[in-house]
Amino acid sequence: MIDNIAVVGAGQVAAVAARTLRRRGFEGRIDIFGDEPHWPYQRPPLSKEYLTDDDESGLFLLTESWCARNDVHLRLATSVTAVRPGRVELSDGWEIAASRVLIATGGAPRRLPGAAGARIHYLRTLDDARRLRPALRCGARILVIGGGFLGSEVAAAARSRGAEVVLVEALAAPLAPVVGSELGAVCADLHRSEGVEVHLGEPVESVEETADGVVVTTSRRRLEGDAVVVGIGMVPNTAIGQRSGLAVDNGIEVDEYCRTSMPDVFAAGDVANHFHPAYGRRVRVEHFDNASKQAVVAVDNMLGRATVYDEPHWSWSDQYDHTLHHTGEAGDWDEVVVRGSASDRDFVAFFLRDGVLRAAFGIDRGSEITAARALIGRAVPAHILKDEDVDLMEQV
Amino acid sequence: MWVYAGELAELAQRKKKQVTVGGRAVALFLVDGTVYALADACVHKGRSLSRGTLWRGAVICPGHQWAFDPATGRAEDQQVCQPTYEVEVRGGKVFVESNERIPSETP
Repeated sequence: MIDNIAVVGAGQVAAVAARTLRRRGFEGRIDIFGDEPHWPYQRPPLSKEYLTDDDESGLFLLTESWCARNDVHLRLATSVTAVRPGRVELSDGWEIAASRVLIATGGAPRRLPGAAGARIHYLRTLDDARRLRPALRCGARILVIGGGFLGSEVAAAARSRGAEVVLVEALAAPLAPVVGSELGAVCADLHRSEGVEVHLGEPVESVEETADGVVVTTSRRRLEGDAVVVGIGMVPNTAIGQRSGLAVDNGIEVDEYCRTSMPDVFAAGDVANHFHPAYGRRVRVEHFDNASKQAVVAVDNMLGRATVYDEPHWSWSDQYDHTLHHTGEAGDWDEVVVRGSASDRDFVAFFLRDGVLRAAFGIDRGSEITAARALIGRAVPAHILKDEDVDLMEQV
Repeated sequence: MWVYAGELAELAQRKKKQVTVGGRAVALFLVDGTVYALADACVHKGRSLSRGTLWRGAVICPGHQWAFDPATGRAEDQQVCQPTYEVEVRGGKVFVESNERIPSETP
């Protein structure tokens, strides 16, 4: 008998889990614990439209009235210290009974040592975005460290607000480990075409706040600006896992059912280092769709409906007027087949190993990405992948 | 009112087509022998659903991969719905009722 379910963390996983629990007919109490003071909100817009439009509507995931109607109890600005069999412990000393617990504590921005100050920004939370938005003003000079999805989106948002942008990436090309240096260079060129000053292969040596700005020193140059945004990845929030005695290694370890090493305790989203049957090993993924899908799988397994999470991961990034998509994991690919034109930034690239589709990456090619999600793990001939006249869904 | 939107045969190969009904862009989809009509501009960010894909019976938007039920316009785990239109097929011709249907939104 499941009396009550606690979700630790109040982001995308919590919102999807609460909705899914009610949709599945679970009638017990649901508690959601969040350490931020805000109602659950979406993070993807924080580096995109939230920075360009002064609009917070549509950001929030659960409404007060829905929670009231559905016996969902939000405990905001509340820290959970540990999970014990049948209960969670709060930092104020209280304990809350929970027959099942879902840990979805996400992560925190990876920080550059010594880089802190009013003009030095990291971006993860709504408060971070509220602080950053006014800095991206017309005529300001914004230094962005990191050419991944986050840094690239901030660069695009800053340009659309009329700021000058300098993007610094330590690697020879953005996203190179995921999509290779040639397609990474295409992404760098997208920024250049929008007027961004891009410096590649330049690790940052120091970030300092001055009386009226910031100074970033790379391996090759000294850059001055009005503000700096550091987007160099995140670290999972695993403290609760460690205090609870859960298996933790690059996140909280879970199996393909989202189960942690403690019975009746599950984890999902950015914090979950999950065993993925398609890869035969654990992987931790920091994307919206992964959080949403794992929340559903965790709920199903909490309710005794054995469900495996084995879909290919996918993610997107909105930059300027373009949407970039990625799905799967290329790993050590031996063939890249490009459909469309990479130099025109209208393409999808398929990554194969021994003729089997492993991953795809594209710009403004959402329908081919859907097809790739369906085809990953299968052998698909290169001439089919390349041929614009072939509807790839017919290969599914 | 009912508006002629095209021939059923035009949906046979690609299973989808963008048409204009009452001055508005509408996306037609053929799923297991039934024709469905949805507003073409995705309710999320306005991308064209007719440039999207049918997968597992859902219409997948090419913008951000939202998955819509073609019959109801409901999006999987989203709080907003895509407007849909009533469809009739008579003698191989597709007719669309030009008044859109917007289902009630549920979280």
